[in-house]
Amino acid sequence: MWNKREDEPLRPSAPTPVAATPQPPQPPVVAAAPERREPAAAGAGAAGIGPSITIVGDVSGEEDLTILGKVEGKIVLPKHSVTIGHGGRVKADIQAKFVSVAGEVHGNLVAGEQIVIRKTATMLGNLTAPRVGLEDGCRFRGSVEMEAPRQGTASSGAPAQPAAKPEPAPVRS
Amino acid sequence: MSWFSKETIAPALRAAPAGHRSLALRALLDGLHPERRPAVLDLGPPLAGNIKFLSGLSCRVRVADLHRSMCAEPLESRRADTMPALLERLLPLEPDEQFDAVLAWDAFDYMRVDQVKPLMARLAPRLRSSAQVFVLVSMQAQIPAVPLRHRILDRDHITSEKPGRDDDHDVMRPGPRYRQADLGKMMPTLSVRRCYLLRSGIKEYLLG
Repeated sequence: MWNKREDEPLRPSAPTPVAATPQPPQPPVVAAAPERREPAAAGAGAAGIGPSITIVGDVSGEEDLTILGKVEGKIVLPKHSVTIGHGGRVKADIQAKFVSVAGEVHGNLVAGEQIVIRKTATMLGNLTAPRVGLEDGCRFRGSVEMEAPRQGTASSGAPAQPAAKPEPAPVRS
Repeated sequence: MSWFSKETIAPALRAAPAGHRSLALRALLDGLHPERRPAVLDLGPPLAGNIKFLSGLSCRVRVADLHRSMCAEPLESRRADTMPALLERLLPLEPDEQFDAVLAWDAFDYMRVDQVKPLMARLAPRLRSSAQVFVLVSMQAQIPAVPLRHRILDRDHITSEKPGRDDDHDVMRPGPRYRQADLGKMMPTLSVRRCYLLRSGIKEYLLG
């Protein structure tokens, strides 16, 4: 009675942007899914490297890319998204607009907008992007360099102030 | 209105952040100068909040996730004589990389003295002259089986929480109860600048 979403049968209420493969309605189902829907995968023109595919060499192009297989080399898609799905294994530096990692990556990532490291990811390398998201539980070793937020937007980023008078007395052992 | 009415207490509770006050962290952060884009080495696991906070101070953050990385290695590679080689692999550094601060958290509680020594020997030449090392040492006889996750809430406060439900966080192990003299052996090039004993039985050290 109170939770209409559970009572009502799932129905496609709005047309989905991807015409070729209609997606089921997202709400409660997607919220509970372990891996969130990636912007790259949502794009109509996304290319994919399947689980059985191995590519050795450089990858570049003008569309979003989803990797579920293995890639060794270099990936350059500065205007598009690169998604390394769960099971995907990449040994390469990646340059893209948006990078999402749920699989395994050995290499440095540079993104124009955002990098997201999912909790299932193993990421060894350096991350450079204006926004970097790391889910708790992910395996990550490397450095993170983010652009500094604008002045006054983050209280935590306020300039250092003189130390307050210590409350607990220092102890000597 | 009584002294203990909701109206009196609630605003104060809302204003006070959870977690404990950390004077050593405060001192470390005060020593970082955002205009110099300080470099911070975090030996703990990757925590988005900490990276966001430090990035807000214009820091470049290197995350080592040392405990988990070491546990994934065979025991023989964690011996004192094999530690330098292991650390080269687990903690790769850029040729000219230097640090202004090291957040060791409670990592040393889960390492032997002969394991910490090669770690600090590796880091010593990478520390700038003003660099500071933040260490938490438990004085309790028993400590959690795995390191806690320490989250920076603001410049003055930290929360220390047990890892997620995947880990068996009720299991305890004997704590080494390192004393200041032990830290001196681990880090002979550094000296204790500040030391605070917290009510939880944990000592906060700031070395530099």
